Amino acid sequence: MTTTLVDRYVYTALRRVPEQQRADIDRELRASIDDAVDARVEAGESREAAIETTLLELGDPDRLADSYAGRRNFLIGPELYGVWRRIMMMLFTTILPIVVVAVAVIELFADDVTVGSVIGAIVTSTIGVSVHMAFWTTGVFAVIERTGLGQAELKGKWSLADLPKYERGALSRLDFAGTLVWPVLAIAALVLQQFTFTDEPLLDPANWSFWWPALIVLTALKGVWALWVYRLGRWTRQVAIVNAVQSVATGALMVYLLATDKFFNPAFTGFGDADVDLRSWITVVVIAGVVLGSLYDSFDVARKAEQARKGLPARVPGTGNTYSIG
Amino acid sequence: MVLDMTTDATLASHLQELRRGTVVVASLTVLRTPGYGYSLLETLSEAGFEVEANTLYPLLRRLESQGLLTSAWNTDEARPRKFYTTTDQGNAVADALRTEWARLDDAIGDLSTETSTTPGSDK
Repeated sequence: MTTTLVDRYVYTALRRVPEQQRADIDRELRASIDDAVDARVEAGESREAAIETTLLELGDPDRLADSYAGRRNFLIGPELYGVWRRIMMMLFTTILPIVVVAVAVIELFADDVTVGSVIGAIVTSTIGVSVHMAFWTTGVFAVIERTGLGQAELKGKWSLADLPKYERGALSRLDFAGTLVWPVLAIAALVLQQFTFTDEPLLDPANWSFWWPALIVLTALKGVWALWVYRLGRWTRQVAIVNAVQSVATGALMVYLLATDKFFNPAFTGFGDADVDLRSWITVVVIAGVVLGSLYDSFDVARKAEQARKGLPARVPGTGNTYSIG
Repeated sequence: MVLDMTTDATLASHLQELRRGTVVVASLTVLRTPGYGYSLLETLSEAGFEVEANTLYPLLRRLESQGLLTSAWNTDEARPRKFYTTTDQGNAVADALRTEWARLDDAIGDLSTETSTTPGSDK
């Protein structure tokens, strides 16, 4: 039994050692184990106990094999981790949204498009693209880590030019793009729901005579406002007032339509005939959302304008300090 | 000074950090006279180096592949053993490491006498 224990240990360790080194390590490891066991037996232990203690001291044979083979027991080491993290951040914050939006837009023009099919396309593409990006990037880095191929180029040397530049001004390019996306999506959804998604449009078609076009104009104005702020480069009182007027007008329009039951299409049957009146519940929730949303938006911009007027520099939470990074 | 469990663990990890690398110098020094794995393990632990078998054995092979040790199988006795010997290159490396060790020892000695005689001064 005791010989099989040593055999099993050595065999387990050798399995994970390169073949050309096995014979030598086999002989050396056995001799070392035997030496240690003999020493313990001489000191008065029983042979079995001596073998057990010796093997226990040598520890996990897989780790021993890693150590013999000079193998790294990590996928991506500290040298490459920073680069890997930066690439992953870029992939997930830039590439992923672009791909998902593209997939969603393509799906919108499919023949049998429904709300479900668009949401499905967004969810599956988000999951699929994420998994692929994470897997292949990490795989390539693991190969680089092991082969050392192109490591010098990847690591590079950090210089002051690599410090992030914090854009001065009210809206960074990314914020601006974000502010533009919402009006575009809202208008697209408003127009498309009339023709696609459901058999009967969700929103009352009667409003196309005036209210829906008005809403589209107000929403589009939000985009124009964003462009104005972006070009202006700072939050001003005018910016805040125009934004507040716009928000309140849009909100008031929607609340009026919702409250007077002119918002949803009476012919739309999607709310079903459940016991609870789903339609009025949704109406209440949407009213609350619209009111809170436009209030928050107005206050948020007003706060930024006020801060800019007072010339308050960037405050960094946790430090109690302000930094001039602009 | 109170040494609670946390400081014990902290101390242990710092000690390990400090000792890392001393095994290389010690092994290269001891193996100026040929020796095999288990004998070196015994010698080192008697000399006060806390080194584990599973660290030492792979280390010997690594030092051999770096050309700091050579090895030869001795089959004269009943149990064949692989004997390692420090090469000239290994001796040179060991010398350099010992010099550095002595320099660090001096430097740390200087630091502790300086700080004990002139506390708070920034000379």
